[in-house]
Amino acid sequence: MRDPTLFDHRRDPVLGEALRRALDPEDGEVGNAAFVARVLARAAEVPAPSWDHVLARWARAGVAAAILVAVAAGYFVGRAGVAAPAPRPTMTDVLLSPPAHPREVEIVLASVIDNQ
Amino acid sequence: MVARAAAGDRAAFGTLVQRYAGVARRVAHAVLGNPEDADDAAQDAMLSALVKLEQYDRRRPFGPWLLRIVANAATDRRRRRTVRRAEPLDPGFVAGGPRPDTTAERRALAERLREALAELPERRRMAVVLFDVEGYSHGEIAEILRIPEGTVRSEVFHARRRLRALLVDWKEDG
Repeated sequence: MRDPTLFDHRRDPVLGEALRRALDPEDGEVGNAAFVARVLARAAEVPAPSWDHVLARWARAGVAAAILVAVAAGYFVGRAGVAAPAPRPTMTDVLLSPPAHPREVEIVLASVIDNQ
Repeated sequence: MVARAAAGDRAAFGTLVQRYAGVARRVAHAVLGNPEDADDAAQDAMLSALVKLEQYDRRRPFGPWLLRIVANAATDRRRRRTVRRAEPLDPGFVAGGPRPDTTAERRALAERLREALAELPERRRMAVVLFDVEGYSHGEIAEILRIPEGTVRSEVFHARRRLRALLVDWKEDG
């Protein structure tokens, strides 16, 4: 048997085997088989999940995934749709660009001249 | 196998129970110190696992998940039951008296080990059984017992020290 050290990560086969013998039920494999039979008999009383239950579980997962995809798609589409703010015109642009309403300006000028 | 069992395949569940019956019974025995109670606890745990199979994360190993349920079932049962005292040891065994044959000797050693295990704190008991008997790693035991890995190492160390002393005494007596 090895000396015990705090960080020994190896199993101790001697101690392990002795403990296994101490903890193994005396009925051995026969007892294990009886135990399995006993558990399965009790398990038969537990209602098995039906197909619609299984399908419903999958459907729930599917709906959740679809909602997630829809939300993500909505977010990205929304982001792309927002127009970037127009760049502020420079002084040169203002001076060179034609007036927005040239005809109105002419009318105003003409009326001023007529009044004089 | 787990997926099939979760979908209601009772044969698949039966295979799982068969595979883990031994370890579940031993771990429950380590906690309860009584084979009948241990079998009841192990059975409760198996049925509880059947109901909870949907919650099992299939990316993780199944054994530690199941043994966590077994450990909880055994601990719950121990808390609920009235304390039953184990039969006192034959004074001849305690005094290292004559042992007629190997079978009797082994039985006596097993009895002494069970007694020694029963004296250990529950967590220490489970840690050493899971490590040295069942071969789980410190990390897996930490997951099963929900304690830090360093604590598992410490628990295994202290349990081993106690149990090894008993084994050495036994050999020297023989």
